[in-house]
Amino acid sequence: MRESHIMKIHYATALAAVGLVAVHILMRLTQGFAESLEYENVVANYQFLPYAGLLEIILILLSIHGFNGLRVILLELKQGRVYEKAVSYGCLAGMIALIAYGSRTIFMVNMGMM
Amino acid sequence: MNPHDEHKEGIGGMANPRRYGIERVAYWLMRLTGLGLLGYFIAHIYETSNILRGRVGWEEFLDLTQTTEGHIFMTLVIGMCVFHTVNGIRIMLGHGGIGVGKPARPDYPYIPASQNSRHKIGIYSAIVLAAIAMMYGMAVMFGE
Repeated sequence: MRESHIMKIHYATALAAVGLVAVHILMRLTQGFAESLEYENVVANYQFLPYAGLLEIILILLSIHGFNGLRVILLELKQGRVYEKAVSYGCLAGMIALIAYGSRTIFMVNMGMM
Repeated sequence: MNPHDEHKEGIGGMANPRRYGIERVAYWLMRLTGLGLLGYFIAHIYETSNILRGRVGWEEFLDLTQTTEGHIFMTLVIGMCVFHTVNGIRIMLGHGGIGVGKPARPDYPYIPASQNSRHKIGIYSAIVLAAIAMMYGMAVMFGE
């Protein structure tokens, strides 16, 4: 994929994440910070399908943005065919692993598998 | 060809905040906050997975974060998040050609048109907004 396309994805994921993370934080503040983190509240949040969907989208957007940002920083430090491939595939693997791990939590709590 | 490339400074060259004024500081902070936020995001995904351990597991882990140190750490995360967002929007606008000035003949002292007051105000605004958000975050977390 061309670097210019990757940067457009980087910026698009950033802008989308800003809006959705704001909603995620507001959910904590509407109830009171400590109260919103109580076990029942957190489980209820996960079991409310639209909110679980929001969390899944935030997870995907931030994983793409975060690991691409890490890739950019690492490619600024050093260049070379093997190094660049290793960094790109390493970051892709990290991104997939994080999405998989986070999705597991969302799906399991949403379906009551605790 | 000289095998030692004196221009290749690695992390030291990238992180040196003494060059190019506030723009270099912003460049440095952008990467530092980005790495910090990625670290926090990974930790947050792990932290929230403790809900699968049931009420006891969740409350045990939550107790670790609901401390003075935990609140100070969260305050830093808020500051990093706000700076990264506001400065990121400034960079996006700059990459889109907004606020970088018009192309002109390079004359002494060769100050780039893009390093102008509009972008400097953007950087300082990001720092000030991050400080305000940190104070608000502390008021919410320590106020309870």
